[in-house]
Amino acid sequence: MNLDDKHSEGLDLSALWRLLRYALSYPRLLKQAGGLLLLATAGQVLGPVLVKVFLDDYVTQGHYPVLELGGLALAYVIFYALSAWAGYQNAMRFNEVAFNVVRTIRSQVFAAVMRKPLSYFDHRPTGALVSRITNDTEAIKELFVQVMSTFVQNVTLIIAVFIAMAYLDVRLMLLCSIILPTVIIVMFYYQRLSAPRYHRARSVLSRINATLSESIQGMRIVQMLNQQKRFNADFGNVSQDLFNARMSNLRLDALMLRPLPDLIRTLTLAGLLYYFGTQSFESVVEVGVIYAFINYLSRITQPVVEMTQRLSLLQQAVVAGERVFGIMDEASESQLPSASLIGAGRVQVEDLGFSYDGEHPVLEGIDFTVEPGQFYAIVGHTGSGKSTLMSLLLRFYTPQKGRILIDGTPLDQIDQDNLREQMGVVLQDPFISAGSVRDNITLGLPIPEEKMIAAAQQAQLHEFVMSLPDGYDTLLGERGGNLSTGQRQLLSLARTLAREPRILILDEATANVDSHTEAVITKALNKLRGSTTILAIAHRLSTITHADQIVVLHQGRIVQQGPHQALLAQDGLYRHMHELQLQKALVADAVVYP
Amino acid sequence: MELFFKLGWYFKAQWRRYTAAILMLLGTDVLEMTVPWITGLLIDQVVANTLSRELLMRYVGIVVAIGFVVYVMRYLWRVFLFYSSFQLAETMRQRLYAHMTKMAPQFFAQHRTGDLMARATNDISALEMTAGEGVLSGIDGLVTGVLVIAIMMFFIDWQLTLVALLPFPFMAWYFTILGERLHVSFRDAQERFSDLNDRVQESVSGIRMVRAFGREQVEDDNFLHIADRTAEANMRVAATDSLYDPAIFITVGSSFLLCISMGAWQVEQERITLGQLTSFTMYLGFLVWPMFAYGWLLNILERGSAAYERIQQLLETESPVQDAGVVTEVAGADVHFGIKSFTHLGSAMPVLHNIQIDVESGHTLGIVGPTGSGKTSLINLLLRYFDHPDCDLRIGGVSIQDLTLETLRAQIAMVPQDPFLFTATIAENIALGKPNASREEIRAVADLAAIDQDIMRFPQGYETLVGERGITLSGGQKQRIAIARALLLDAPILILDDALSAVDVGTERSILKHLREVRAQRTSIVLCHRLSAVEDAQQIVVLNHGEVVERGTHSQLLAHKGWYAQMVDYQRLERTVESGR
Repeated sequence: MNLDDKHSEGLDLSALWRLLRYALSYPRLLKQAGGLLLLATAGQVLGPVLVKVFLDDYVTQGHYPVLELGGLALAYVIFYALSAWAGYQNAMRFNEVAFNVVRTIRSQVFAAVMRKPLSYFDHRPTGALVSRITNDTEAIKELFVQVMSTFVQNVTLIIAVFIAMAYLDVRLMLLCSIILPTVIIVMFYYQRLSAPRYHRARSVLSRINATLSESIQGMRIVQMLNQQKRFNADFGNVSQDLFNARMSNLRLDALMLRPLPDLIRTLTLAGLLYYFGTQSFESVVEVGVIYAFINYLSRITQPVVEMTQRLSLLQQAVVAGERVFGIMDEASESQLPSASLIGAGRVQVEDLGFSYDGEHPVLEGIDFTVEPGQFYAIVGHTGSGKSTLMSLLLRFYTPQKGRILIDGTPLDQIDQDNLREQMGVVLQDPFISAGSVRDNITLGLPIPEEKMIAAAQQAQLHEFVMSLPDGYDTLLGERGGNLSTGQRQLLSLARTLAREPRILILDEATANVDSHTEAVITKALNKLRGSTTILAIAHRLSTITHADQIVVLHQGRIVQQGPHQALLAQDGLYRHMHELQLQKALVADAVVYP
Repeated sequence: MELFFKLGWYFKAQWRRYTAAILMLLGTDVLEMTVPWITGLLIDQVVANTLSRELLMRYVGIVVAIGFVVYVMRYLWRVFLFYSSFQLAETMRQRLYAHMTKMAPQFFAQHRTGDLMARATNDISALEMTAGEGVLSGIDGLVTGVLVIAIMMFFIDWQLTLVALLPFPFMAWYFTILGERLHVSFRDAQERFSDLNDRVQESVSGIRMVRAFGREQVEDDNFLHIADRTAEANMRVAATDSLYDPAIFITVGSSFLLCISMGAWQVEQERITLGQLTSFTMYLGFLVWPMFAYGWLLNILERGSAAYERIQQLLETESPVQDAGVVTEVAGADVHFGIKSFTHLGSAMPVLHNIQIDVESGHTLGIVGPTGSGKTSLINLLLRYFDHPDCDLRIGGVSIQDLTLETLRAQIAMVPQDPFLFTATIAENIALGKPNASREEIRAVADLAAIDQDIMRFPQGYETLVGERGITLSGGQKQRIAIARALLLDAPILILDDALSAVDVGTERSILKHLREVRAQRTSIVLCHRLSAVEDAQQIVVLNHGEVVERGTHSQLLAHKGWYAQMVDYQRLERTVESGR
C-alpha cells in the first residue's frame, strides 16, 4: 500500500493543522460536541461524589431519611442517564464532523486528479492514484474518528477527575497527581523506544510479502533449477526475522505498555491507603472519600494509555494527509484559453515536433492541412508516432515545436468546452461504464432523445438496442460486460456522433473489432464525408482505403502522402504495409485453444 | 470452540509455554483480586478503630508487593502466550511455503497469486489471533468472571451479588444485538468502500475519455454520490459502535446503584461491613472485561475457523504431478517425444495429436508454428508440468515418469518465454541454479549470452539489484540474463522457449553461434516465432493445431513451400516495413 513509505520521525505539524482546519468549518457541530462532552464528563465524575455523600453523611451515621435518600438516588440516576446520553450524542457529533471532513477531502482530491494534465498519468500507476483517493483518505478518517475524539474526551476526563479529587481532598489529589507525569514519562519513552522497532517490523513484513509474491510468481524457475531447498531456507530466515522483530516489539509492549501503568496505579493505591491509614490515627476520616478516590484512580491511567495507543494512528493519518495534499497542491490543467470557434472544421498541422523526454523526438516536421469535410487517415507501423500525433490533436499534451490550428485558431487558445463541442473522438478502447445504454451514449450530458437515437442509427446500433429487454434503458454490466467488443465500439461511435462534432477523430477505432464492425464503422464514416472533417488513425488499412488522403508516418516523420490507389502504385512503405496485412491472414492461422 | 480442538496438535507441542502462560494468568487474576479485599479490611479497621501502625504497614506492604509480582507475571504471560502464537504463525507460514515449492505449475495457474498471498498473510494472522488473543480472552475472561463472582458470593454476600449482577445479563443480551448489527453495517461499509475504489479506478483509467468528452463535472458528481453513501454507511457503523460505551456506563452505573442501596441496607443490618461494601464495588468493575472477552472470543473464533479451513485446504491440495520416479542416472541426451493425444484437464479439444519426434544427442530441434499450435504444451510435457497416460517422453531412453523430478530437472536447462528475475543482484540471478558459481564462471556465461558488456556498463556491474524492487531492465536484457542463467547449469538439454524474441537479429545470431560452439555434445530445443533462430537446426518441426504439418531442415522446408516458406517471406517483408522502406 505504501509506495512512498517515509520514515519521517517527526510529525508534520503544518499538515496536521491543515487537516484540523477542515474540522473547524463545522463550528456548530464542534460547539455542540464540546457542550455534550462537558455534560458527559460531569456526569461521570459526579457519580462517585454522590456515593461518597451517601456513605459519609448517611450510612456511617446510621441515619436514613427516606425522602433525602430518594432524592440522592434520583440525582444519581439522572446524572448517569444524562451522562450516557450526552456521551453518545457527543460521539455522534464527532463522527459527523469526521465523515463530513473525509467526504470533503475525498471529493477535493478526486476533483484535483480529474483535472490533472494527462502527462501526469503517464508516470503514475493507476493503483497508486486510486490508493491516494481511497486508502489515504480512509487513514485520515482515523485522525478524526479515533484520535481527535479520544484526545479531547480523555483530556477533559482527566481534568474533571482532578477537579473532583481536589474538591474532596486537595492533599490526596496531589498525591494522586504523581501518577500523571509518571505515566506520561513512561509513555514518552515507550513511544521513543517503540517507533524504530515498529518500523523494523513493518519493513520485515513487507519484505516477507515481497519474497512470498515473488516466489509464487517465480516458482517454476525455482523448481526448474532444483533450488526449492535453498528458497525454503531463505524464506525461513526472513520469516524468523519477522518473528524476532515481533517478539522484540512484544517484550517492549509487555514491559511498558499495559503492565507498567497498572503497576503505577497499584503503587498509588498503596500510597493512598497509607495516607488514609495514617490520617485515621490523628483524626476521623471519611470512608466515602477513600471510596471516591479509589474509584477515580481507576479512571485516570486508562485514558493516558489509550492516547498513547492512538499516537501511531495520528502519525499515519498525518503522513496520509501530506500525500493527499501533495496531489491537491500540484498544478491542475490550466483552463485559461477562451477563444471560441464556430468554423467549418479546417485542421491545420504546422511543422509539428514533439518529444516525451526532451531528448528523443517522437514527431518531427509534421505538416498537413485537412479542409472541412475531408477524410484524412494517418497510418504507420508500431512506434511511428501516430498515437502521439493523436494525443496532440486531442490536446492531451502540448507540442514543443510547431502548432495545430482549428479554423485558424491555435488549438491551445480554444476554450475547453467549446473545443469538445466541435471535436469528437472515438478511442481504441471504448470506455463503457456500468449504467444504461442511454447513459453511455449521453454520458450524463443533456442530449435530446431524437439526437441520441439518430446517432445510434448512424452507428447501426439502434436495432440491436431495441432488441434488448429495456431498449435504451437496459443496464450494461461493469465495463460493458454484456456487450461484444464490436458492440462496445459501435456504442462508443454513437456516443461521439450524438454530439454532432464538426471534426471527428478516430484513434485506432477498428484495431480490436471483427470485420463486420469494421465494415459498419467504415460505412458510417463514408456517410459523414463532406459534412464532417474526419481524421482517422488506423492500424488496419482496410478501414481507410476510401480516405481522401493517407499520411504515412515512419519514425515520427511523414514519408508518404496521397490517396490509397496512388500510394499502392508507389514501391514504398504503404504498399509493403498493405502486402504485410494481406499475408498476415495467411500465416496467422490463429485458432487459439483455451 | 471446535477450532481449539483442531489446533490441539499445536497446543500439545507447546504445552509447556501454554501451561506457564495460563498459570501466570491465573496468578495475576487471583492476586489482583486480593487488592480490593485488603482495601476492604483496612477500611473496616479504620472504621472500627482497630488499625495499628504495624498492621497498616503490613497492608500497604502487601499491596506494593502484589503490584510488583503482578507486573512480573503480566510480563511473563504475555511473552509465553504470544511467543507461542507467533510461533504458530511462523510454523504455518513456512509449511505453506514449503508446500508451494512442491506444487506443479498447474497449481499456480489455478490459484491466483493474490489469493495465495492472502492465505499466507491474512489467514495466518487470523489463526495467530486464535492461538494468542483467543486463548487469552477465553481463559482470562472465564477465570476473571468466575473468580470475581465467587469472591463476591462467598466472601462478601451472595444476595448482594445477585442483586448487583441483575443488570449484567441485559448488557450481555444488548451486546449480542449490537454485535450483529455492527457485523451487518460493517460489511455494508466495506462494500461501499470497495464501490468507492471501483469508481475511482474506473474514472482514473478512463481519464482520456473524461477529458475528451468534458465529463469532469459529471465524474465529480458521481463520485460525490458514492462518497456520500460511503460516509452514510460509515456513519451507521459509528452509530452502532458508539452505543457500546453508554451501554457499559449505564450497566455499571445501575449495578453500582443497586449494590450501594442494597449494601447500605445490609451494613445497617450489620450483615456486611462498610469495608466489604467498598471492596464489593471495586470487584464490580472487574466484571466488564469478561463480558467483552466473550464477544471478542466469538469474533476471533469465527474468523480463525474460516482461516484455518482455507489454510488446511491449501495444505491438503496434492500436486497434480507426483514425484514417483526412482531413476537418478541418465546416460545420453537424446530426447523422444511420443504423443498419441494430449488434452488439458477439463477441456474437450486435444492440444497435441499424434506427434513422434526424436532428437539425437548433440542435435538441435526447432519447433515453430502459429500462436496456439501447441509448441509450449509440448515442452511443458517434457518438463512434466502435467502428466498424461497417452504420452511417452524419454530422455536417454528412460521414460521421464521413471526419473525423480530432481533428476529430470537436472537434465534440462530451460529459458522460459517471459524471463523472471528475482529481487537480487544480477550475479545472484545468473547463479540462481548454481549458487556457489565463481564470478569467472558467471561472467563467462554472461559473455556467451551477449549480456556481459551491458552488465559492466551499470555502475555496480554484477552487483546491480534487479527484480521488482531493483532497476528496470529491457526485455532483451532480461532474456539474455535468463539465457546466461540456463547456460551456467551446463545441462545435457537446453530449451529456449521463444527466448530471443526481444533481442535484435544480430545479437540473436551471435548468441546462437556461441551456443553451437559450447554445446557441441548437447541437445538443444528451440521454440521460436522468428524463424531465423532455427535456420541451422538439424531438424525443424512445424506444428499447427497440435499436429506436425511440416518437418525437415531449413532448406528442405523452403523448398516445400508450405507455411514455413510463407512465414519466412512474411518476416522478410515485416523487416522491410519496420525499417521504413
